[in-house]
Amino acid sequence: MKERLRIEKLTVRFGGLTAVSELSMTVAAGEIRGLIGPNGAGKTTAINAITGVVPITSGLILLDNMPLTNLAAHQISHRGVGRTFQHVEPFGDMSVLDNVLLGVGRHSHVPFVHALFATAIADRGEKQANSDALNILERFDLLSYRDSLASSLPFGILKRMDLARALAARPQLLLLDEPTSGMSESEADHAIAAARSLAESQNITLLVVEHNMRVMMALADSVTVMQHGCVIAEGAPSDIQLDRKVIDAYLGEELSDAAP
Amino acid sequence: MTTTLALQLAIAGISVGSIYALVALAIVIPFKSSGVLNFGQGEIVTLGAYLALILTQLALPYPIVLISIVILGGLGGVVIERLLIRPIVKAPEFTLVIATFAIGVVIKSSLSVQFGDSPNSIDGPFGSTPIMAFGLNINPTSAWILTCTLLVSTAVVLFFSRTRLGRAMRAVSVNTEAARLMGIRVETVYRWSWAISTAIGALAGLLVAPLIGINPEVGQLILRGLLGAVIGGFTSIPGAIIGGLSVGLIETYSGVLIGSSFKNLVPFLLLMVLLVFRPQGLFGTGEFKRV
Amino acid sequence: MFETRLNSVLFLSVVALALTASALGSYPVYLMSLAGINIIAAIGLNLLTGNSGQISLCHSSFMAIGAYSSSLLTARYGLPFWLAIPLGSFLATLVGALLGAPASRLRGIYLALATLGFLQIVQIVIEEFADVTGGVRGLNVPKATFAGMYVSEYVRFLLVLASTGFAIWSATNLLSSRVGRELNAVRLSPHAAQALGVPVDRIRLTAFALSAAYAGLAGGLMAIVVGFIDPGEFGVSAALRQITFIVVGGMGTVAGSVIGAAVLSAMPELLRPVKEYNDIIYTLILLGFLTFMPRGLVTLWDSFRIQIARATSTKEART
Repeated sequence: MKERLRIEKLTVRFGGLTAVSELSMTVAAGEIRGLIGPNGAGKTTAINAITGVVPITSGLILLDNMPLTNLAAHQISHRGVGRTFQHVEPFGDMSVLDNVLLGVGRHSHVPFVHALFATAIADRGEKQANSDALNILERFDLLSYRDSLASSLPFGILKRMDLARALAARPQLLLLDEPTSGMSESEADHAIAAARSLAESQNITLLVVEHNMRVMMALADSVTVMQHGCVIAEGAPSDIQLDRKVIDAYLGEELSDAAP
Repeated sequence: MTTTLALQLAIAGISVGSIYALVALAIVIPFKSSGVLNFGQGEIVTLGAYLALILTQLALPYPIVLISIVILGGLGGVVIERLLIRPIVKAPEFTLVIATFAIGVVIKSSLSVQFGDSPNSIDGPFGSTPIMAFGLNINPTSAWILTCTLLVSTAVVLFFSRTRLGRAMRAVSVNTEAARLMGIRVETVYRWSWAISTAIGALAGLLVAPLIGINPEVGQLILRGLLGAVIGGFTSIPGAIIGGLSVGLIETYSGVLIGSSFKNLVPFLLLMVLLVFRPQGLFGTGEFKRV
Repeated sequence: MFETRLNSVLFLSVVALALTASALGSYPVYLMSLAGINIIAAIGLNLLTGNSGQISLCHSSFMAIGAYSSSLLTARYGLPFWLAIPLGSFLATLVGALLGAPASRLRGIYLALATLGFLQIVQIVIEEFADVTGGVRGLNVPKATFAGMYVSEYVRFLLVLASTGFAIWSATNLLSSRVGRELNAVRLSPHAAQALGVPVDRIRLTAFALSAAYAGLAGGLMAIVVGFIDPGEFGVSAALRQITFIVVGGMGTVAGSVIGAAVLSAMPELLRPVKEYNDIIYTLILLGFLTFMPRGLVTLWDSFRIQIARATSTKEART
């Protein structure tokens, strides 16, 4: 199996806090890997480290055997890494179409001078980008919102837009940060089905951070479990569900949530 | 450079630096508590200078002038906080910067209109014959400015560490909501921090007037004050004082070393360099999120 | 339908203006030239502040660079105005990029401070190099000549009109292309922009350079229209005025720049009897808009357009 993402002993420390400690994992090309763990396990920090948003204290991150560790965030994106955000991070003042167009822009680039003088090349590029974006909007059932301002839309629609936008960039590795948070059960089921079919049809490797066990079980090929910045278990979803350590980690969280 | 000259310059540098230190303090105090950087602070200093002019022309004795300016300055701060700052505290940063900047420009214009651009001046409280001490010529006004700055700085530091209100102010600057929950009246804290800030600023205007005269351009020294605040790390009170003094020293020495035309460039170039490479200054602790 | 009709109306009025301007008299032509210059400068500032979200208090410094360099190129090296002005704008762009490189990493008050510092640096340089720049007393600008003849003020107005048209056209092109989307994205969510491959720092720097280009052009034009460069025109009052233009007109849109600059350019005339109160009035207008209409006059224009579009489309639907 070709490996797409390899993380070796990743450590991320801020101030006195160690958010991720010697995390190692390998994700095969085309795999759907879940990354779960109780709150504060370091899952989102790991995502931020891969995408270049937070500086790494030590360790290596390799994409298709090429190091990502010293690259700027936008360069990492150009290597084929995409992500969605837990809180969506929409371009609020822009329409849904424009949001997705920014995703399209990652691989289709009208040069500055052409844009400035509105040349035929610019025109063609813009038309192509528009049709790509509209295709994606259609696939995600967002066509009716194409001209609506992102800031006016409900969270569930924005989540779909976030995914559409990330996919518009044609990533090879897509990191989904809590993609179903804030969604109802049926919305979540829809989202999972869409993600799965997309990953398979376009051979995209998915790394999905999820808090919701049910979603994870339905979606992932295999699961890595984190707690306190370290990996505590890894394997098939069915095995993970029965793993003592995992149950303790989540139970501990449930108990502390329930405490008065 | 002889030692005497170096020391002489040091004194000049520290005395002008004291003014910058006061301005830096006036900027940092309300910034720490309410998060608003008063870009119009320079004009508060100018107002203080003009107030000094008016009161002196009324033939009031110096101590009365001084106390009145401090009190009037403080009251002015209360008014500013109530009328101008309170409504915009929650506004986006752009609005805060532009609003305080614009108000500063207005004050400067109004003073121009009212008093014209002709320079005015008042005398220092102890005359201008230099005192001889330790083989150096010391301008009594400089000595006075230094003394005042020391007193004010000590008072401010003590205020923040020993008094209830001072501690409340520190709490508010660290975490406003938590402070409110602890029963601290945040509005009162804001009001006092602005009052103190404008009182200090106005006092600086009075003190500096004998040195540089009274005209609408006095407010330009806010940029030195800002540089002092940056050097000190925007949120550090002792840092602001040290920062201001450093700017004074740097300015005075570079005046001699590189000539008076370019000495004016030095503070700004230093400001730019600091902002780019070390925005938290020498004493600040801010974490700077990239992006 | 309405859009294209509107564009035709605007185009025809501009042409009509160009043709009749010579009959309007010297002073109105002068005022309209100044308005055009303000529009060009406002367009530049709006790209930087309104679109890429970077506050700048030194926009007028780039106008100064454009004004002084184009005038000096003509005065000292005999370059004709139509070479000197673009060169001046180019020089301003370079300086804009130079400043933008470090400045684009700063945010909020730190950026405001850095631009304020740069403003002061430029002012000091102007004053200290007085034998070149004329210092505080200003610089006389050589009269523009073409083919050996002096260019009349009417022709200069046409030049300003054409330049303004170019500025509006180019900025509109940029904003409706991926460049415009990236500028806005960088302001709205740098994290999301990065994740989509947008080089945030580079875009911010580009915005600085772009704004300086337009400002430099405006400065060069101002020099030949006014005939004299007064360094006082490039200080904090100018910064305040330009920010007021874009706030009043509408930040982030070319229409906003045009509306704000055009409307407020009429002000100095109306305010002539109370010239000293200029700053105060600008501030009141600025604060008023920031409080009550922060999105600017362009919002009124937009709702007007939508209403007309609706009215004309229902009319067409009915027929």
